Amino acid sequence: MKIVVASGKGGVGKSMLASSLALLFKENRKVVVCDCDVDAPNTGLWLGVTKYDSVERVSTSYKATIDQNKCIGCEKCKEACAFFAVEKNDKYHINSMLCEGCGACEIVCPVGAITTRPVNNGEIRIRETRYGFTLVCAQLYPGETGSGKIVEELRKKAEGFSHEVMVLDSAAGIGCPVIASVRGCDYAVLITEPTPSGFSDLKRILEIVNHFKIPYGVVINKWDVNPKLSNKIEKWSKGKFLGKISYDKKVIYCIVSLKPVIFSDSKVVDEIKEIYDKINMRL
Amino acid sequence: MKKIVSTGVKGGVGKSTFAILLGFKLSKEGKKVVLCDCDVECPNDHLILNKKLMKGKKIYQNYPVLDSKKCKKCGYCSENCRENAIFWVKDKEPFFIYDLCTGCGACWLSCPNKAIKTKKKSVGETYTNKINKNFWLFSGISKTGVSETGPIVRETKNRAIKFAEKKKADYIIFDTSPGMHCSVIQVLLNTDKVYSVTEPTPLGSHDLGLMLKLLQRLGIPGEIVLNKADVGKREMIEKIAKDFNTRITYSIPYSEKLVKAYCEKKLEKVVDLL
Repeated sequence: MKIVVASGKGGVGKSMLASSLALLFKENRKVVVCDCDVDAPNTGLWLGVTKYDSVERVSTSYKATIDQNKCIGCEKCKEACAFFAVEKNDKYHINSMLCEGCGACEIVCPVGAITTRPVNNGEIRIRETRYGFTLVCAQLYPGETGSGKIVEELRKKAEGFSHEVMVLDSAAGIGCPVIASVRGCDYAVLITEPTPSGFSDLKRILEIVNHFKIPYGVVINKWDVNPKLSNKIEKWSKGKFLGKISYDKKVIYCIVSLKPVIFSDSKVVDEIKEIYDKINMRL
Repeated sequence: MKKIVSTGVKGGVGKSTFAILLGFKLSKEGKKVVLCDCDVECPNDHLILNKKLMKGKKIYQNYPVLDSKKCKKCGYCSENCRENAIFWVKDKEPFFIYDLCTGCGACWLSCPNKAIKTKKKSVGETYTNKINKNFWLFSGISKTGVSETGPIVRETKNRAIKFAEKKKADYIIFDTSPGMHCSVIQVLLNTDKVYSVTEPTPLGSHDLGLMLKLLQRLGIPGEIVLNKADVGKREMIEKIAKDFNTRITYSIPYSEKLVKAYCEKKLEKVVDLL
């Protein structure tokens, strides 16, 4: 059973909720947590994890280079590159920040001056948490590409740990790393906040979830900062509504002291437990 | 024209709020400003500014189409596709999985029989809006389901720069998506100054460190905007600022007035918070 927490908009509480759900599922089931936000892996911090048992470098992207001795300056690579990574100063070179490693340049080069090689673009980190489940996460190295493929590697890694429930914490947005996180999941928890941006992004992520025909439920975080819009989102969600979480500064104190929210005396604890019960009823 | 970026890796830290407040502030000082919303996956600046995205200009991308008459079923295209977007079994025609295709061209460029043609499809749109007499909004949006959004960001940025030049703008402010992969790097390249927006929590400091590292690699000067400055631990951010030899240029306190103005789509009312 794979449950993904996603949102479109960033900073609405994905990692807070995913970490809390993992701790609740752990009470009766075998759990593995997979932090799919490889740009900004933060699930660990919500679980108080700052150190890892193992770190393994991964290579899911390629980069092209031009051999200046062989290049004849025909510009065929420049025409072929869909990502505008071929640049000319006095000589032609590949801007590695833009190169997606697709190899189109290598294919068209008539003199074999271009080679694409795999690069280490990130690392997978694993931690056996003190709560009795494993956390699998990854960090894309700053300036590298290929985050969607790191997510795929990460998910394969997480599958290797015996579990009944896998909780996946998606990145923000609706692009490749998010699609890689959502694809193949059994249930999606879509979390939002009652702002015009939050609502708009909820509709965007919902299109992705519907595209993959994944059953879903909706959670509103910090509902009381805007009760009017919160009500509107609740009505709009109809039968998919799972519950709402209050704005409470105690949640911020939790993250500042790296203590899981679920173990605090914040009023959000009961609200999250209610949401957890509803998810369980729908699985 | 100065090119400024509002970014920050972590989501929901106030990238858009800061970009809009800075836009209002500069325009109030009589400067001509274009704000470019480069978060094409989830563009929100128009919502916060109470504008609609109308009369869009399409952004196109090439995608492969098979010419069955020419295809010799060799599978060379499938072998060359690093996105695993072409499914092929021996003696069968290749099958394109368009959800995974980035339009890179490796298949049609490598086909020995020239059996793969290209077609254009719309992957996104750009829009303009006027906010006040010297403040404009330029927005880009991706079509849902398009996975490779970097090229859409690039096109949005380029069109916005052209638009800003035509308006003789003094400043163009780019608002990025969260994260730090290709769709953010596209925006950061060739800009003059980057503000990394963050909050005083371990999450904020962790993600700020990543952005400052990336900026170091790109050789772009980065400064810090500390949002919700009074909720959490400021020392955490001060330490990172020191480690990276930069400073906290703006501190924005948590304010219910700001949250209200944001929800009511009237951020210009709280421009003094900056």
